[in-house]
Amino acid sequence: MKKITLALLVLTGALFPQNKDPEIILKRLMEKFNYVKDYQVDVKIKIDIDYIQAPQTKAKIYFKQPDKIHIESERLALLPKDGLNFSPSAVLQKKYTSIYEKDDVIGGHKVSIIKIIPLGEGNVILTTLYVDTKENLIRKLETTTKSKGTFSIDLNYKDGSEYSLPSEMIFSFNIDKLNIPSALSGEVEAESEQKTEERNKPVSGKVYIYYYNYKINQGIPDKIFNNSSK
Amino acid sequence: MISLINIEIYKIFKKWRTYISFVAIGVLVPIIHIAMLIEGEHSIEYMTRNLKQSFIFVGNLLNGFLISYLILNSLVVHIPFLIALVAGDLLAGEATAGTYRILITRPVSRFKITFSKFIAGIFYTNLLILFLAVMSLGLGILIFGTGELIVVRNSGIVIFAREDVFWRFVTAYLFASLSMSVVAALAFLFSSLVENAIGPIVSTMAIIIIFLIISAINVQFFQSIKPYLFTTYMNSWRLFFDNPMNLKEISESILILLGHVALFFGAAFHIFNKKDILS
Repeated sequence: MKKITLALLVLTGALFPQNKDPEIILKRLMEKFNYVKDYQVDVKIKIDIDYIQAPQTKAKIYFKQPDKIHIESERLALLPKDGLNFSPSAVLQKKYTSIYEKDDVIGGHKVSIIKIIPLGEGNVILTTLYVDTKENLIRKLETTTKSKGTFSIDLNYKDGSEYSLPSEMIFSFNIDKLNIPSALSGEVEAESEQKTEERNKPVSGKVYIYYYNYKINQGIPDKIFNNSSK
Repeated sequence: MISLINIEIYKIFKKWRTYISFVAIGVLVPIIHIAMLIEGEHSIEYMTRNLKQSFIFVGNLLNGFLISYLILNSLVVHIPFLIALVAGDLLAGEATAGTYRILITRPVSRFKITFSKFIAGIFYTNLLILFLAVMSLGLGILIFGTGELIVVRNSGIVIFAREDVFWRFVTAYLFASLSMSVVAALAFLFSSLVENAIGPIVSTMAIIIIFLIISAINVQFFQSIKPYLFTTYMNSWRLFFDNPMNLKEISESILILLGHVALFFGAAFHIFNKKDILS
């Protein structure tokens, strides 16, 4: 009888795994990220987008809690708007509902998948976080928006890093179309229907950002953030 | 031969109409620079507004390279008139002035006369393009500085590193000189047909405008004849701003344009050689 009861318990556990509390996971995530009050970092940006060709560039990013960001570059740099602030607070600052979905493995790291559904009006419909509960790090983030389609961010970290700051970010996106005004493109001649279709087809791509030379919690004056990025 | 060419160049620059082109470019290009200085940011904003929904641009987009690129785009429509103004007068001007007969009674062959006039016309064309390059690129860099060049084409957006831009402009302007040499050769051909410079100028412009309109209308019939219009290849300087460059297409365009120059000059010489000079 005892054996049957034990078997039933094991089977029940396998069929109905105990749900983790997403709020606790998110709280731990926030706590670890909050060790970082500010940072400045050099970045290398590599763009791999169907419709855009750009050389690899370098820039400097300044961040200060909770969400101040400033970018400086001597050269023209193209950075994804949505991926730069990888602070969990960027996702969790508004009212939301969180759901723990399941555990999975990403790049050899065990992660818990948590769905964040924002409450009220906004552009974001759903965000999925892949949280490494052992290190309290976001390994991956997927966001579905109303206007810009879906994008995902893969974050890689140096082993044993004390802070939740990535060494590499891969921003993948898929937007409906870029709608570049042809009046300024300088192309005065007629374009074929095929070319027009190509120009209006959905654009997908990846932006790779490599982070190095982190300077963490050294104090960044607010005036830096008053200037627009240049 | 050299002295003949020098004489023809002297004759070109002796006429005040020659300087109209330089004055026009000398006034127009700084006006564009001033306009871009005032309104350029808005233009850039408009150009990149859709990209800016997804991306942050950091750096100097509004620079001398971008403005030179936009100016170079106007080349095909506006500069031919300035070229035809002088090239259309090279032979017809002699007829108008009544100097044809005295010109060919000199102990110089008709080929040398035609060729020296043609080379003088090509020299003027190249000088004008060089002036345009110095005004747009030189002044642009002086006012706006250098930076990465963003080129928005139907096929996509290409951002060139600043050190990868200058040589592209040099080759593009060289190509533009060749394009405009075709215009000069066409005006020269018409100039050999008539005795008044107005006809060659208007005819040259009419042909260029007609060909450009045909190219711009998106109808299958017009698109099928587009490869046979020399104006199609005049814009091939843009190929130098592709990455990677299509060297085959560039070579083809150069050969086609050189062929047109040779064809128009050959026809002009043939007409002038057979011409019964009565004035």
